[in-house]
Amino acid sequence: MIRVRVPGTLAYRNLALRVVAAATKMIGNAECEPSPALEELEAQTVSAVGEAFNNIAIHAYKGVAPGEIDVLIESDAERVVVEMTDTGASFDPSTVAVPELDELPENGMGLFIIRSFMDEVTYAAGPPKNVLRLVKRRAPGPEPRLQDGASEAEVTVETGAKRATADDP
Amino acid sequence: MKFAREDNGAETMLRIDGTLDAVSAPEIRPVVDAIVTEERKAVTVDLGNLRLIDSSGVGVIVSLFKRVRAHGGEVKIVGLRDQPKAIFKLLRLDRVFPTP
Repeated sequence: MIRVRVPGTLAYRNLALRVVAAATKMIGNAECEPSPALEELEAQTVSAVGEAFNNIAIHAYKGVAPGEIDVLIESDAERVVVEMTDTGASFDPSTVAVPELDELPENGMGLFIIRSFMDEVTYAAGPPKNVLRLVKRRAPGPEPRLQDGASEAEVTVETGAKRATADDP
Repeated sequence: MKFAREDNGAETMLRIDGTLDAVSAPEIRPVVDAIVTEERKAVTVDLGNLRLIDSSGVGVIVSLFKRVRAHGGEVKIVGLRDQPKAIFKLLRLDRVFPTP
């Protein structure tokens, strides 16, 4: 499991996407051989996570002090699962209209991109937390080429006040 | 993101490199507005070094396309590849933009 937890602002979008992109190339703790299928999976997963990150930073945390965006990634031989958790305002995905592509829309395409590129999309609305779960299945065939490193990794970006720890009074 | 505009006679080349997303899209809006205001009629957008685009970035390109077309001009896209190409294909923009 790989975890990246960042403040819920667009300034941290690129950082989160780089972690997700790298994670799509891992199966457990092994790195995949490059392939067109892997590149496509990376492009589609990064696109979907990027749109979801935008939605949280721009809409869920609109008008309030932004909380965190917690991104958990599990990648195995069959699929990549990305779970994004926020504490902002929730929404009802069933009310979001499908864009009329022939009319060349200039916005409102985010959820369409997410749903189109992912094999499974589920959203559990809070409070206290909203959880978006994205699943992308791998095409058969990627072979691990490197066995190294720990089986879990965590990246946390903190800003402002020092995070409290169990040792603090 | 980096971008560069170059005018050569009636033609305008706009090159966009890096990432065009919700963060960087506002930076390029004034350049797009200037191209439209000046009624440039032959605009080419070079995305050969564009690594990543999101729906906000697509919105900027589509806005340029629609407004240039509204005054009788044309916008071409060149160099589209990788993730941006996948997004353009999904949104059916590959059918809209003439590509050499």
